[in-house]
Amino acid sequence: MSKQGYAGPLEQIGECCWRIPKDYKIGMRVEGRIFADEQLIEQIRHDQAPDQVANVAVLPGIQMASLAMPDIHWGYGFCIGGVAATDPAEGGVVSPGGVGYDINCGVRLMRTNLTYQEVQPRIGPLMDALYRRIPAGVGTGGPYLFGGKELRRLLVEGSQYLATRGWATAGDLDHTEAGGCLPDAEPDYVSQRALQRGGDQCGTLGSGNHFLEVQVVDEILDEPAARAMGLQKGLLCVMIHSGSRGLGYQVCDDALAKLRKVPAKYGIELPDRQLACAPVHSDEGQEYLGAMRCAANYAWANRQLLMWQTREVFAEFFGRSWESLQMNLVYDVAHNIAKMEQHQVEGRRRTLCVHRKGATRAFPPGHPEVPAAYRHVGQPVIIPGDMGRASWVLVGAEGSMEQTFGTTCHGAGRVMSRTAAIAHAKGRRIDRELAGQGVIAKCRSWKGLAEEQPAAYKDVDAVVDIVHRAGLARKVARLRPVGVVKG
Amino acid sequence: MYEIFEHTADLGIRVRAGSLNQLFVDAARGLFSVMVANLDAVRTVQHVSFNLKGDNLEGLWHDWLAELLYAFHGRRLLLAEFQVEIGEEAENLALTATARGEPIDLGRHEIDVEVKAITWHGLKVEQQADGWLAEVIVDV
Repeated sequence: MSKQGYAGPLEQIGECCWRIPKDYKIGMRVEGRIFADEQLIEQIRHDQAPDQVANVAVLPGIQMASLAMPDIHWGYGFCIGGVAATDPAEGGVVSPGGVGYDINCGVRLMRTNLTYQEVQPRIGPLMDALYRRIPAGVGTGGPYLFGGKELRRLLVEGSQYLATRGWATAGDLDHTEAGGCLPDAEPDYVSQRALQRGGDQCGTLGSGNHFLEVQVVDEILDEPAARAMGLQKGLLCVMIHSGSRGLGYQVCDDALAKLRKVPAKYGIELPDRQLACAPVHSDEGQEYLGAMRCAANYAWANRQLLMWQTREVFAEFFGRSWESLQMNLVYDVAHNIAKMEQHQVEGRRRTLCVHRKGATRAFPPGHPEVPAAYRHVGQPVIIPGDMGRASWVLVGAEGSMEQTFGTTCHGAGRVMSRTAAIAHAKGRRIDRELAGQGVIAKCRSWKGLAEEQPAAYKDVDAVVDIVHRAGLARKVARLRPVGVVKG
Repeated sequence: MYEIFEHTADLGIRVRAGSLNQLFVDAARGLFSVMVANLDAVRTVQHVSFNLKGDNLEGLWHDWLAELLYAFHGRRLLLAEFQVEIGEEAENLALTATARGEPIDLGRHEIDVEVKAITWHGLKVEQQADGWLAEVIVDV
């Protein structure tokens, strides 16, 4: 497969929106829409991601448009940064490729009442303590073991199960998307292999682009929203990016194996096998959704346990309880998921299956699913950037409901392949370069750091700027990394 | 013979071989070479058998790599030597293989990239004039 640019049509239809017309490919049921400005769209043309946006438009029951966020990049099947909502009442499908292997990969942000200024002299030892405690790396297990019955409960109840074990508070659950638990999870649809991989990995970071970052609030752009979240300039925060670990990958893999012949069974023609799908209202579709919800619940529990361990490290390090350090969860968002949601389409309220693959829910102020503390400002959206520059806190804005099924971007998006990033890092010490910028990076391998170096990513500020201008989400606060633990 | 090629967020493995059996052997080496930096340090003290069936070559190719990946993640094994025999059985393709390796030992093995999954995107297995060519993109 050669890396060619996209040569198909892209028509500008708004300040930050580009269209791939429906007649670009045979079988497209709706048009494609990419949110970007002139500069980003040029980057986006460099690979086949726009073609993937068009491929997704072929899925049965897809509504309005096949959408892509400004952090779009080339994936497999769906692009990363893709959003597709299907209507089950119109034969709409669910596609595991529209969720991805790392089911409910997502991000959470926890605030503290510590200022960077007071912690700075001891930030090195603090990062050492976090690095020692937070399990990270390929296939690594952690200190939390869940046997058969416990794991089943974890899959059905997600973070809510952890609350019964004393590892989550009511406040944590309230500030997690879906309360940390999707209903209708069916552990009977999760294979033995997936269960076996999940037994000891809940509460572990994993590898690749997953991380735990200590960050400082650098700039506040929306005072009332920041106040609602307890964010002030100079305060220390912790951001955690991880997903459902081996259990989730196995659930996706199992589903793709089962769905291999299903599109043909239902007469669905697909341009890419990775788009394999089944009608939501079919046994195959329900089986995948039941298993996917288990993996999603596992992922919320995973990030909750990572946060819990972080609280314990801080409490020990500073000699105060985490409660007195006011280490409260600001919010936790999923960015690889399919959910049944109510949306208004063509003047009618409908229940849609919304796929977000590398995209984040961004419900506006007043939406009933936004927790009470944030209902007047909108749902918090956590956007990790790269480890050298910045991350962002946004809130969902009104424009998201009519333009993107209540969705915004999820991160910076890669611009460099991993191999290109390693070549770019040859002869350099990324950890020293980062230290020069005031970021302490802890990673088990040079290669891991090289792959994730800042230059491998788009500038997250530019990505966030687009969703802000497009009215999908509003900027609240910019966070700057000061310490990173990589998988 | 295998080579690794790039894909924005992921990695591809391209394999060329004179025979189908060798194609599958080289793919297995390619997959483990992505995951462990010092594959030559893996001792071949334990062996695992695989028996797979499929109604087409691309399905069998995918499943072979997925089984090997499960050996790594589920059984925590690093495999370095492979013997593969592909034949036909009652109109289906049948793969019989033996792989040798040892349990992961982080003291000696340099684990490199976590391959999460074997994707179907751009997957191909082709017979060419001078042998076989196959490609797969893995999610990392």
